[in-house]
Amino acid sequence: MAIAVKLDDLLYQRRMTLTELADRIGITLANLSILKTGKARAIRFSTLEAICAALSCQPGDILEFLPGSPEVG
Amino acid sequence: MANSRDYSAALPVAYVALRILIVLNWLMGAAVLALLTATIVAEEWTLRALGIDSGSPIRPVLAGLRLVAALGLVCIPINDLLLRRLRAIVDSVRQGDPFVASNAQRLQAIAWALLALQVISMCIGGIGDAISTKENPVNFEAGFSVSGWLAVFLTFILARIFAEGARMRDDLEGTV
Repeated sequence: MAIAVKLDDLLYQRRMTLTELADRIGITLANLSILKTGKARAIRFSTLEAICAALSCQPGDILEFLPGSPEVG
Repeated sequence: MANSRDYSAALPVAYVALRILIVLNWLMGAAVLALLTATIVAEEWTLRALGIDSGSPIRPVLAGLRLVAALGLVCIPINDLLLRRLRAIVDSVRQGDPFVASNAQRLQAIAWALLALQVISMCIGGIGDAISTKENPVNFEAGFSVSGWLAVFLTFILARIFAEGARMRDDLEGTV
């Protein structure tokens, strides 16, 4: 996937676990894991908003476009 | 309006009803086959056992009745295909995952089965008209049925809707 998700880095900076984030934003741990491991095919704006609000960040802090990366699916 | 509890109660009932219908369909087929065979292999004995004497108005039209029975036998495997596909669809709904490509294919198969049954019904109705006389009218309650053909078209449309639904569901797969 050409869009990389940098959730790991942000969680580490905020000293938060994936489980805590899932509880805060009301998304299942399973779905957040899918997002974190780069297996998600799409993200809703509502999910992006919830993550940014919980981690006090911007969408660009979580998502990065890597041109030339292999497309999946 | 049906609530989710009504919805969840209807599915197990439908599932059990379909299983019973599948068995009854084959039992009926066996009975018709036995009767048809008996009228061919032991015609006189069978007709006397059914109370059809030599002067009965049924005798002259026996060939037509045999043809109707044979067409009825053709319906048995078609009914089985229809009922089994429908049971599989109900099962997928019970499992919470109905919008899959396989259900679209099942509905397509059911639509073709319904179409075949309508054609056979029209043939049986035609045979009934052919052997019917003013003195001895015959009514098989078969023939052209508006509601029957409407069901055929509706099922084809529903199959298309399910195919589209499965495609949309696949699109959403992996969306968080």
